[in-house]
Amino acid sequence: MNIKAVSKGSKYLFAFGFILILLVMGTKLYQDKAWFLAIFFYVSAALIFYTYSISKSTPAKYLLPGVLLLTLFHIYPAFYSGAVAFTNDSNGHQLTKDQAIAAIVQDSKIPIATQEPVKYQTLVEEGSKKVFVLFKYESENYWLSDGKAIRSVSPDPRSVLVDGTVVKVGGFTILSPDQTQAQIAVLQNLVINLDSGISFQPQDLETLEVSQPAFMYNEAKDELINTLSGESYEPNDNGQMVSKSGEVLYPGWKANIGWRNFSSIITDKEIRRPLLAVLVWTFANAFLLVLISFLMGLVLALIFNFPALRSKRFYRTIFIIPMAIPSVLSLLVWSGLFTAETGVIDRLFHISIPWLTHPWWARVAVLIVELWITFPYMFLITTGAIQAIPGEILEAAAIDGASPAKSFTQIKLPLVVRTVAPLLVASVAMALNNFGAIYLLTGGGPTFSNSNGNAGATDILISYTYKLAFNSQEGNNYGLASALSILNFLIVGLISIYGLKKMKTMEGIN
Amino acid sequence: MRSVDSIKNRKMRFWLKKVLWRHVVGIVVAAFALFPLVWMISAAFDVTGQISTQQLIPVHKGLDNFVQLFSNKEKPFGIWSKNSLIIAISAAGMQVIIGALAAYSLSRHRFKGRKLTLTTILIVQMFPQLLAATTLFLIINTFGRSYAFLGLGHQLPLILVFGGSALGVNTWMLKSFFDTLPTEIDEAAKIDGAGHFEIFRKIIIPLATPIFVVTFLLSFIGIINEYLITSVILGLDGKNMTVAVGLQQFIYGQYGKNWGPFTAGALLATIPVMTLFIFLQKHLVSGLVSGSTKG
Repeated sequence: MNIKAVSKGSKYLFAFGFILILLVMGTKLYQDKAWFLAIFFYVSAALIFYTYSISKSTPAKYLLPGVLLLTLFHIYPAFYSGAVAFTNDSNGHQLTKDQAIAAIVQDSKIPIATQEPVKYQTLVEEGSKKVFVLFKYESENYWLSDGKAIRSVSPDPRSVLVDGTVVKVGGFTILSPDQTQAQIAVLQNLVINLDSGISFQPQDLETLEVSQPAFMYNEAKDELINTLSGESYEPNDNGQMVSKSGEVLYPGWKANIGWRNFSSIITDKEIRRPLLAVLVWTFANAFLLVLISFLMGLVLALIFNFPALRSKRFYRTIFIIPMAIPSVLSLLVWSGLFTAETGVIDRLFHISIPWLTHPWWARVAVLIVELWITFPYMFLITTGAIQAIPGEILEAAAIDGASPAKSFTQIKLPLVVRTVAPLLVASVAMALNNFGAIYLLTGGGPTFSNSNGNAGATDILISYTYKLAFNSQEGNNYGLASALSILNFLIVGLISIYGLKKMKTMEGIN
Repeated sequence: MRSVDSIKNRKMRFWLKKVLWRHVVGIVVAAFALFPLVWMISAAFDVTGQISTQQLIPVHKGLDNFVQLFSNKEKPFGIWSKNSLIIAISAAGMQVIIGALAAYSLSRHRFKGRKLTLTTILIVQMFPQLLAATTLFLIINTFGRSYAFLGLGHQLPLILVFGGSALGVNTWMLKSFFDTLPTEIDEAAKIDGAGHFEIFRKIIIPLATPIFVVTFLLSFIGIINEYLITSVILGLDGKNMTVAVGLQQFIYGQYGKNWGPFTAGALLATIPVMTLFIFLQKHLVSGLVSGSTKG
């Protein structure tokens, strides 16, 4: 009794502790303006509380952990991808509008022509040994700053000389000109910003150069004005500030651009041309691979499903070894073996084929390696399917006088194809997404000449998307990559649903 | 004597006609299946470490590659192995536990939306997480701003991401196995006053141990193999890498291809996985094939 009560008590303690952690983390995320994640944590906490202490539904208790993880790491990313696809999120468009405008203003600092240089003194904080500068500017007090923080100090009037030089500041050591010289590396990189936008930078060992931004932001009119030329810049619908004459200011910001990423897939020749080639190879690769590996698996299954062959167990063990080697490693080994001229394959067979650098040979190499990875699976499932054919059917066919060939094409083959068809569809879906095989073996290459995002002859949609998002020489384009992700989602998803519908095991439910 | 001879003869002819060629095919296919493994082994023991001079039996044999692998401070293979093991064991464990909970309920409890639930988790599963790499990067980055240990470069968020990532496949595999366990045992236990969790813990789990082993192993291999999300979330910083990400560093770049240590590391990583795979072959095969032969 007691033990049970304790275990129940500890269970509640654990559950409430967990809920408390979720609530605390949610609050912190909320403070840091991660809205969705904050809401997710709050809702999770509420659901956990409801499911395990109020609700009477037993299945919910078992399904909730999986559903929560699935929501956060599968479903939410899917929707988030969707949202990014409607923005121009890319290099140069990652800040918010306010941040982008602040950055433009900050970058536009120019020395004030009418301003005399301001004298400064160098100090070192006692204890931390940090370098500070002390100067006087449009104020009775002195400014003291290390380039990060700035504060106003008022030294004892008795320690200020007639020319304004300070001889004593509490907690600091004032450096002599020689000592200042020694700190030149620090001083060179020092920039002090006042709240008014004016900034100071040491120009020699005694004076600061005073600058102010050339651009001024007019919030009411939402425009940037160049105070020197008088030109005004207004936001365009691509998240940039543009002048009337078309001059663009950088950086831009992340803006909603509607369906433009999607429409650019069709209308922009730069994007369409490589994408079309990539799509064709994506499908060709998947269907060819599944077809060839299925045929190979089937033939092997027929050959080795032979009772008189005593070593079939041994062969099966050997045949499934490709499945047992982590594919990320075997793919890289293959890429070495396929090295042109010097690689093992070219030397072994006395050929000189530029496997990975010629578009067509690269495609052949990809298929060979993918076949090596997938044929064991096909061999196993077709063997399973053949063994599952009831012996009576074949016997009946033999009695009816069907030749072995006829019994194969009219009975065995249709039955095998029918059983494995859903698995073949799933294999096509998987092949459409076989990022690793492409990326590790050829890197999608050889690259087409001047294509958007370095598309290559063996790139499939997913590897091309990855390049656009993370690895493009023209700058990463998350918006377009997300739009392509959605396209891939749709293709693979529809094929998967089709496969699932054909799946017999699903009929066993309800 | 004559009759024995003729039987022997017939047997011989049968062997020549029906069996011999199967061995020929078997040997050819075996050569194809073992091809990269054989060269991986040969390169691992070839001290010259060059692709271009590699022979099937290395001319200069030695353990230099293995020594190099473990003495390289910038590419710490030992740490990578540890990272891979921590991530793969915890995430695979999480996958199996979460999958088992869901599968038990889907197999034993009757409720509205049961079919829809299984279909949904399966379909969500069919959308590979790979596509969401961009988004996962942003989510984990956002986490990291609030809690460093949940941010980029840390293992915990990666384990959480992987923890739910094979839910569909695992639930499906486990459910098909649970379905084969007779419900009469549950009923008997229920009469004895056992609750649903007790039935799961004391009856289902012990009976389903083999399928747990298989599911765990497949999940484990899947995670060991994962490269993209791992590198996106952990980054390409020496000590953060896993074996799958790290070993690639040896062969990155045109000039720095270091084939010897790479193959040595690949061999070391392959041996345990392959041994387990062959050892558990029977269970694995039945787990994989169940989808095709059922129904």
